[in-house]
Amino acid sequence: MSVAAFTVPTVTHSLSKDEELAEKISVRDLDFFYGDNRALKSISVPLYRGKVTAFIGPSGCGKSTLLRILNRMYDLYPNQRATGHVTLDNANILSPSQDLNLLRAKVGMVFQKPTPFPMTIFENIAFGIRLYERLSKSELEDRVKHALERAALWEEVKDKLGANGLSLSGGQQQRLCIARTVAVRPEVILFDEPCSALDPISTAKIEELIDELKDDYTIAIVTHNMQQAARVSDFTAFMYLGELVEFGETTRIFTTPNDRRTQDYITGRFG
Amino acid sequence: MQSTGRGSVVDVALQGTGLSTAAQLDRVRVLQRLRLGDVAFRHLTRAAAATVLIILGGIIVSLVWGSLPALRAFGVSFLYEEVWNPVTEKFGAIAPIYGTIVTSLIAMLIAVPVGLFIALFLTELCPMWLRRPIGIAIELLAGIPSIIYGIWGLFVFAPFLQQHVQPFLIAVFGEIPILSTLFAGPPYGIGVFTAGLILAIMVLPFITSISRDVFEAVPPVLKEAAYGLGCTTWEVARYVVLPYTRVGVIGGVMLGLGRALGETMAVTFVIGNAHRISGSLLAPGTTISATIANEFTEAVGDLYTSALIALGLILFVITFIVLAIARLLLLRLNARVGA
Repeated sequence: MSVAAFTVPTVTHSLSKDEELAEKISVRDLDFFYGDNRALKSISVPLYRGKVTAFIGPSGCGKSTLLRILNRMYDLYPNQRATGHVTLDNANILSPSQDLNLLRAKVGMVFQKPTPFPMTIFENIAFGIRLYERLSKSELEDRVKHALERAALWEEVKDKLGANGLSLSGGQQQRLCIARTVAVRPEVILFDEPCSALDPISTAKIEELIDELKDDYTIAIVTHNMQQAARVSDFTAFMYLGELVEFGETTRIFTTPNDRRTQDYITGRFG
Repeated sequence: MQSTGRGSVVDVALQGTGLSTAAQLDRVRVLQRLRLGDVAFRHLTRAAAATVLIILGGIIVSLVWGSLPALRAFGVSFLYEEVWNPVTEKFGAIAPIYGTIVTSLIAMLIAVPVGLFIALFLTELCPMWLRRPIGIAIELLAGIPSIIYGIWGLFVFAPFLQQHVQPFLIAVFGEIPILSTLFAGPPYGIGVFTAGLILAIMVLPFITSISRDVFEAVPPVLKEAAYGLGCTTWEVARYVVLPYTRVGVIGGVMLGLGRALGETMAVTFVIGNAHRISGSLLAPGTTISATIANEFTEAVGDLYTSALIALGLILFVITFIVLAIARLLLLRLNARVGA
């Protein structure tokens, strides 16, 4: 099969019976540059509403770069630029007039390393909520509790909400970060290798959580762990050297990949 | 099995027969020599550490010893009497104490916010090409000897304040209660206010460069996480960068305050050296270090000398109290974030 056929991949999965797939985010002909270095080459990929899309590929293939475009995180750094089209609900988010704070409120991100803020557990969650809403004390407490429950952390921290976020274990810190992201009520959540610093039990908890969250959010996850991609995602995109090699339903990608490189990667022949 | 001549590393490790007895003795000797070096190293470092204590203890003892005559003669009244008369040998320290604290306070009120803003601008907002020039300018500012601040303050800054700034302040605040007292009287040019401004300029580079260094040490991913929630740069600075770096920032502020409290030369030039407490910040005053520097050459009587040394002891105590307050502040901040 020729490589060229997949530089602009078409959606090759079949629609399941009564499910209508809606594109929450569409990426079209996206190029990205670190200075003069072209890190992404004509990427086109959809993120479907209420689905989990996994991005897999060897290190340096551009998965994280792609994720950081979806909330314009790259804007913080000079000499990084993106060209092409990325739309969220049909509005172009690459446009210079895009309100970045608003975009990032809609598109939350969970990082590879847990990043609790230097404040109490309660404040870690309340902080984000206060940015957008004026709530009474009891409403705020309810929201914090709800977010912690959503992140399956409430039972473990309900008696020490006044303790510093850094006093939690790594896995708890990561769930705290998820709770913090959920608390500001985003529409999309981006996970950038959320489990790579965690032990297997914490990893299982986070995966379970992602599965629960996808009913309400559109989720993108970058992972080095192919079992994880297979377990949590509905769609999988395989990237290699800045190109999107193949995109499709996870079950199909992992059983009958169309491209030779996808097959080599998921069978562990390189990566 | 391999021949005995070329035993593998594993064999050597397991059986310990790889080395002959002579070689083993050699090795023991080398190790003993190294251990001797270690002991010498330990004693050397301990002696170096002890030196600090000895010097500090020596200074405290000689300060207390030297100030005993004055403290005996005036008692506690030395701390609150305003009179400073070498002719009648009546001495009270409240005027220089007041001057020291007020000038440092003015300096910190200006230098802390400005310094933090410069540091935040440099780390969060400044375009790359502008970072180095501003950073170098700050380091140069820190490198200017205090005597230069002194003559610049006396010949350039003070006349400028006298002609342009102070009349304006007097006019603007003249009608407002409290502020009218603080900015009352003729614009001398030199005075407590001018000394405070000069001190602010002098401590600014310390606060700026230390804050900048600690701000740069904030992990980028932590800032990204805050930006990722939709924070503005101000919110990231206020709620993430500053809390994360509070220990370093307070350290920088205290270093600046320590310098402001003890700064001698520049202050002596511009403060007016008047032993009195005036309601107006524009009036001349004096500080502890300025008094000592001005008067030690003419301190003829034992009591006069002793009074000056007692002033030095008070400055020492003030600095100590400031450090203690800084510690307390840190403890309270840590308690608030649950650390």
